Amino acid sequence: MSLAVRGRPARGRWDTTLCVCVAILAGLVLVAVTAPVWWTESTTATDPLAALQAPSIEHPMGTDAVGRDMLARVLGGARVSLAAALCVSVVGGLLGAALGIAAGLAGRLGDGVVMRVFDAMLAFPPVIFAMAVTLALGVGLVTACVGVTLSAIPYIGRVVRSDVLRVRGSGHVEAAHALGVPPWRIVVRHVIPHVAPTVLVQIASLFSFAIISVAALGFIGLGAQIPTPEWGTMITEGSALVLLGKWWVSTFPGIGLLLVTAATAIIAERVRVVLDPRRTPPRGIL
Amino acid sequence: MIRFLAHRAGAALASIFAASLLAFVLLRLVPGDPARQVLGQFATPEQLASFRSENGLDGSILEQYWRFIANFVQGDWGTSFASGAPVRELIGQRAPATVELVLVAFVASVGLAVLVALVSTYRHRPWVDRIASAIAFIGMGTPPFWLGLLCLFVFFQQTHLLPGPEGQLSPDLAPFPERTGFVTVDAALAGRPDALGSALAHLILPAFTLGFAMFAFLLRVLRSSLLEIADEPFVSAAESKGLSRWSAFVRHALPNAALPALTASGLVLGQLLTGSVLVEAVFDWPGIGGLVVDGIANKDYTVVQVFIMLSATIYVLVNLLVDVLAATIDPRVAVVPERRAGRRARGLLPSPQPLDPAEPR
Repeated sequence: MSLAVRGRPARGRWDTTLCVCVAILAGLVLVAVTAPVWWTESTTATDPLAALQAPSIEHPMGTDAVGRDMLARVLGGARVSLAAALCVSVVGGLLGAALGIAAGLAGRLGDGVVMRVFDAMLAFPPVIFAMAVTLALGVGLVTACVGVTLSAIPYIGRVVRSDVLRVRGSGHVEAAHALGVPPWRIVVRHVIPHVAPTVLVQIASLFSFAIISVAALGFIGLGAQIPTPEWGTMITEGSALVLLGKWWVSTFPGIGLLLVTAATAIIAERVRVVLDPRRTPPRGIL
Repeated sequence: MIRFLAHRAGAALASIFAASLLAFVLLRLVPGDPARQVLGQFATPEQLASFRSENGLDGSILEQYWRFIANFVQGDWGTSFASGAPVRELIGQRAPATVELVLVAFVASVGLAVLVALVSTYRHRPWVDRIASAIAFIGMGTPPFWLGLLCLFVFFQQTHLLPGPEGQLSPDLAPFPERTGFVTVDAALAGRPDALGSALAHLILPAFTLGFAMFAFLLRVLRSSLLEIADEPFVSAAESKGLSRWSAFVRHALPNAALPALTASGLVLGQLLTGSVLVEAVFDWPGIGGLVVDGIANKDYTVVQVFIMLSATIYVLVNLLVDVLAATIDPRVAVVPERRAGRRARGLLPSPQPLDPAEPR
């Protein structure tokens, strides 16, 4: 049976699912970034007279409880959430990779210290660790992002470290060492290029975790505060209104979240297939 | 095996200890002086001092840490600043509701994930397969709190098929004796079909909301491991001996594919602990999660701190249990890592868990 090649797109053919996902993400980014030009309603200006209007031509996504235009807020929320997730995944990925590389190259003492700290962080379920950090630093969008970043670092650090240990023991590093190449050069030329794909894969899969975790923290009141247009916080604002039949306030931000997380998860899967061919590709994913 | 058990239990203890240290450092950073917060700005220095000594906030940092640990282990979890009740009592009252919800969600999602994974993999049918993996991705991308609201809108607000966010029972039910604290069990014990029906109807939406992400996650892990061994000789051998493809899959492939899913279920518990906070907030469920969200809203951080420490403890213990179970199923897992990094470098030891356990190893 030809199961082994399922999921990996045949050479030279378009991968429809991937194209759709990239199109969704790119379209959303484009729309969100250019929004202030073509949709000039304010994201924060209130208008009590226009509160809780159902979607119409004037307000395509309706208005919320204090009369803010939902389309403007969903687009603003896209900017906030995407930027937050981008920061979290890049900073978290690079920091985790740096710590992982350091731990993998350090002697037993350094390795032990870093790994024990990671173990302590891994003892908490990820979002709950982010909750603890956010509480400690004070509630807000930035601290929520710091919390999510910190909670992701040990996962990435451990994966990168095990890669470094593998590369460190391999023949080409030994050969370079035997040839008298200085240690820093071995690290830069022979270790880092080998772990870079792993780091990229991890950053890609971190993105969807980041966006949903920041929204979850916002939803329970630890993340972005009112009136910042952030998707999780907006869903909270709409949660009581849903029971009154005013579905639009929390539905649209949720659709945004769903689209972004699903699209980035699938893209991350494909990035893994392309960059990490040593591991068997996950088969039959869409 | 005993060596493995001792090693894993030691590691679990060490990580709970490390987690407590981390939690202590983090929670001491919480802005604001708790003594001032509780007693208000007009408290005298004597009152502040006596409050601090009562709550273990005086003395050196080491003393404070020791007291923090000792109190936590002994179950003295402090007093909720908002309600004045001991946190332990509050959590005790609300634990059964959370346990009930989490158990139902867990059992349902594991059962469904196994079923759907089998159906989508036992024959090579691209379309069934595609639908199953689409469900998996959508499930993992759906924020549980939003899914809950959507369900409430469709099944309660619009169609009135299921009860709304009013907790575990309809408010107009005649009371029945509380024996175990678990509403469904109590209703059944009291011989009250109406109460049992109401309790079950109230469980459907929260359990679905909580379980959907887990279902999707387990489905993905199970699918990829089932596909990996679908073509193994022992499955074909079972088939050639006369078993149908389905029975060969259920009886021979599934047990062999279950290990990654079991390992992943430790992570699933992390999702559940977080998810229960979010879902309970949506459905006004009288469990621990609702307590935590209220605690955040009222700046009643003692409750939140206890929740954070408790969930770390439970998480570590469940992962220990999962490791032990995995080792009983597959004795190859029970290899105690040597202290030398060289063995790891030579690839003799399993690599650590990636962020996403669905990733094939």
